[in-house]
Amino acid sequence: MEHFLRHFFVPHHSNNHRAKALHLDSMLCYVLIFAIFNFGIRIVHREFPNVLGYATDIRVDQLLAGTNTQRQALGLTPLTYNVTLAQAAAAKAQDMFKYDYWAHNSPEGKTPWSFIQQAGYKYTVAGENLAKNFSTSQGVVDAWMASPTHRDNIVKPSYREIGFAIVNGVLNGEETTLVVQMFGAGETVIANQEPVKTVVPEKAAAVEINQSPSQLGEQTAKEVETQVVPPTEMVPVAGANPTPVLNELSTMFSSVFEKPMFNIPTLTRNVAFGFMGLLIVILIIDGLVISKKKIVRVAGHNLAHILFFTAFFIALSIVKRGVLL
Amino acid sequence: MKLSHVNYIVLLIILVTGIWTFAGAQNDKAMQMYIGVATAISYVIWGIIYHTLEGDLHPKVVIEYCLVGMVAIVLLLTILWT
Repeated sequence: MEHFLRHFFVPHHSNNHRAKALHLDSMLCYVLIFAIFNFGIRIVHREFPNVLGYATDIRVDQLLAGTNTQRQALGLTPLTYNVTLAQAAAAKAQDMFKYDYWAHNSPEGKTPWSFIQQAGYKYTVAGENLAKNFSTSQGVVDAWMASPTHRDNIVKPSYREIGFAIVNGVLNGEETTLVVQMFGAGETVIANQEPVKTVVPEKAAAVEINQSPSQLGEQTAKEVETQVVPPTEMVPVAGANPTPVLNELSTMFSSVFEKPMFNIPTLTRNVAFGFMGLLIVILIIDGLVISKKKIVRVAGHNLAHILFFTAFFIALSIVKRGVLL
Repeated sequence: MKLSHVNYIVLLIILVTGIWTFAGAQNDKAMQMYIGVATAISYVIWGIIYHTLEGDLHPKVVIEYCLVGMVAIVLLLTILWT
């Protein structure tokens, strides 16, 4: 055992003065092992989602409480849950999965406001926040609050009502938990105000892979003029009398809860970071021993490799699975 | 300043730029992937130039830098796409 460890981790004449773990064939093995590991995870997840999956616990009541906590902390009126807005959010989420897009406007040009209007919500002001692939409700709210444009929606004083949809599906080939948050104020709430604007958070970065620059340009509009219902045209209060179908739909998309035996993000991060850490340690040991013994060999520079893997370690440690729009 | 010091400063600039741009593309996995691959390729090129200037470039060294870059890319894929 001792011989094996020395052979694998420490430069020695048995391994031609280069830790076996750093030999070219070992490096090639790592590449193949990780490639198989990645494919294996996908296959096991597809066949046994309860064993290997994405742990998720996002619920409407928690999102509502989290949003209102943030508003109340600033002295703002808490938002009331509105079934019609929830129905609009559910329709938007379904449309995103159906037409496979991650954007405020659909590829066919459908805006968030069209979903709100189709649901029967007559608004004077409305807004939309999107999130995907977060694992907890608090994580979603925290991320929205950390993004200035999404935060603006959450703490906008003129909003009175809110609706959510939380839906699982496949978006751009990736298993996705989508959260749609729609804000609004019915015309009876602020009927006498000047025409206002609806707010869609400005896109923080480019969205998913399959979108053209022209599509991106369309999505980055921060503020969009809305159709303001004239005060003279009185309509029923938004969401006051939702149909049973709407209730059923909004209930269907009120939570996503999954607790697999192994959480894929945790597993892959532990394996990848553990491996990177081990590799850096082996490179340090190898470099120190070679430097101490003043051995000359044909090989790359360990210090350069250490710096390179450390840079990747830092970069990958800031990767977050959850994405906002 | 020794030539190797200059080379390592160049390497640090490449890596810091890589981390910086990677962090800036927080909401875009595809862009992060491109940045990671670009950083790995830059590293391989840096390694080849460095050993050429040092006068000890050998095919084994080139393969080593390529494999180190490939290991980093496969780790990047593991974190980003699973």
